[in-house]
Amino acid sequence: MSLTRRLAAAALLGVGIMAGAPLDKALAQAKTEITFARFFGACEADYGNSQDYKAARGECGVMTALVNHFNATNTQNIVVKPQVIEWGPYYQQLTARIAARDIPTIAVMHTSQIGDFVRSRIVEPIEEDLKAAGIDVNDMTPHARRGVTLNGQIHALPWDTHSWPWHINGALFKQAGLVDASGHPVLPKSVEELMAHAKIMKEKTGKPYFIMASVAPADAGNGTRSFWTMLAQQDASLFPNNSWDKANFSQPEVRNVYAVFERLAKEGHITKGLDGAGGLGGFIAGNAAVYLTGTWRIDDLIAASARPDTGLKDYHARIFPNLFKTDAVWADNHSWVMLRGGTNPQTRAAARVFLKYLWDNNFDWARGGGHLPIRQSIMADYAKLPQRTNVMKITEIGRSLPHDVRRQFGFQSLIGEEINNMINGGKPIDQALKDAQDRADQLLSRR
Amino acid sequence: MAFGASARLDFGDRVILGLVTALAILWLAPIIWVIGLSFKPNEVLMRDTRGIFSAPFTLKNYTDIIASSQVFGWMLNSVIVALGQTMLTLALSTLAGYGFARTDFPGKRILFAIVLVGLAVPEQAIIVPLHTMFAAADLHNTYAGLIAPRLAFPFGVFLMTQYFRGVPREIEEAAMLDNASRLKIFLKVILPLTIPAQATLGIYTFLHAWNEYFWPLVSATKPEMYTLTIGLAAMQTNFAQTEGIGFLMAQAVFAGLPVFILYLFFQRHIINAVSGRVG
Repeated sequence: MSLTRRLAAAALLGVGIMAGAPLDKALAQAKTEITFARFFGACEADYGNSQDYKAARGECGVMTALVNHFNATNTQNIVVKPQVIEWGPYYQQLTARIAARDIPTIAVMHTSQIGDFVRSRIVEPIEEDLKAAGIDVNDMTPHARRGVTLNGQIHALPWDTHSWPWHINGALFKQAGLVDASGHPVLPKSVEELMAHAKIMKEKTGKPYFIMASVAPADAGNGTRSFWTMLAQQDASLFPNNSWDKANFSQPEVRNVYAVFERLAKEGHITKGLDGAGGLGGFIAGNAAVYLTGTWRIDDLIAASARPDTGLKDYHARIFPNLFKTDAVWADNHSWVMLRGGTNPQTRAAARVFLKYLWDNNFDWARGGGHLPIRQSIMADYAKLPQRTNVMKITEIGRSLPHDVRRQFGFQSLIGEEINNMINGGKPIDQALKDAQDRADQLLSRR
Repeated sequence: MAFGASARLDFGDRVILGLVTALAILWLAPIIWVIGLSFKPNEVLMRDTRGIFSAPFTLKNYTDIIASSQVFGWMLNSVIVALGQTMLTLALSTLAGYGFARTDFPGKRILFAIVLVGLAVPEQAIIVPLHTMFAAADLHNTYAGLIAPRLAFPFGVFLMTQYFRGVPREIEEAAMLDNASRLKIFLKVILPLTIPAQATLGIYTFLHAWNEYFWPLVSATKPEMYTLTIGLAAMQTNFAQTEGIGFLMAQAVFAGLPVFILYLFFQRHIINAVSGRVG
């Protein structure tokens, strides 16, 4: 073929591509289709055809089976079409979709993110929808209800509470002698006691007290969740006097928390240089006594401790102990929102039916997804699951940042990164606090 | 250089050969590690990511990818977008390059300066207006929406302009003496001389389009319009870095496989293009 012909063919193909687009215009369907934007991954190989959500495991498995079951069994001709998006850039893409008026009917949203979307008037109250669907909002757990309530109105259907417990290798606690008469781990009640326990642990077992992932960008959240927890335990706020546009890192309470990490790192009581896989693998191998990660890991660690070939023995999950004066622990929620402009009367009615279905099956999400439920009426059943009685109080004492704080994920990054800089790079605490302050000022100065 | 000739290598050559081999091993090590991990069960990797050469092994990470009903659709989308972008970029950059190098028109210098400025503007800086523009034109979730924003490619125009400038004018003048039209001269005489530059630009554009993540993320929001990079990323669970490492690695291998196969077929041309050699 001559060059001219090749070029002409290429140009024709290009024009063809342009002319053929969009190729995604679906044929009109008799059923009511609602779109369902979420993360949690895709797992068609294991759950693509499964409707057995009661037997499903993992966030992806339960969610996929729940949707499959709904699509197969609902009598209102509703089809839920999942739109699965990677978790990391989820909010960027959602924002882009809103700008392009390609708005999903229902979208998952962390309650820590709702404030930004409500202020932009993208998320609107849905209390009337929930009531019309037959959802008893008074059944919501205190933390979940706080999470979805802004300006006195409920803006989302909460789906779970996830938090920041201590995952404990009981065998190492026994070896260190840090157990009570019943053989249960003894947890510290103050920072000084924590340091003393950590010293004993190191002397008796040769292992660090804490293991925590602290090198990858995604690991920034680990230090941050501990930070919010210990700050709340001091009844302190990063935004004194409700000055939501000005974080204050020079408060003694903030310094107290950073100092905990500085001391842990300097005295060798917390691991350095581990990423997520290294942290999890290291804890399962028995390389440290306490693993700092979320409630979502409880089932994995129960399973790992049951295996004979791991170093994790006598596993316990415990609420992050009160090291200061008030029982409090960081907690966030996944929730479902209906975005402005994303529904018409028909799809909104269908969305209500689906939300009620999700509400009715919240237990299985908590069971299989590794989170805490958001309905008080199912807490008793939840308590029957292994280790869950130890963490149930989180639904009461869980603390989140006020919705007035803007760009909460941005704070998650900068606070944790500065903590990780102290752990891995030996950054002096004064410098870490100053850098955190500068970064926070910059974050909040943007409109 | 054949291995049989290694006996005749002098000391300097041997040192260079040794360094190059060491460098190649250094480059290959993470790739081998990725491939090794992709054949390991996720639950094993949750406990330990070492020991990639020891059992147990599994194909499940790959079958999980292939089991997704949409993965080949995403691959097709990537092929269409990457090929479309490559061909149209080549056409536009070549024509623009020829125009800048060989023709005179009012405002040429200013226009070329604007193109050069375009080289310095990062993609992220224009993403918001670009997204708004395509939203207004209702072009998101279309192939046109995925392809068009990258067609105005300043580097391509600059590269082709510089290449055309290097082609002796005498060749064109000789053709003009034979009464050939400018279009004919461009198509029959000049264009064949630019094949090495086009190969370089084509490979660069194709790889860039194939690996593109950010623009497809915000433009292709319907799963049926995802490219492979977006689709595979969407399949990851929230904690893939800890509970799905094998799957993550299999995704990396799977996404890179078409490009690798392409390389096997066209390696001579690719090496020539990258090294700037003609023919």
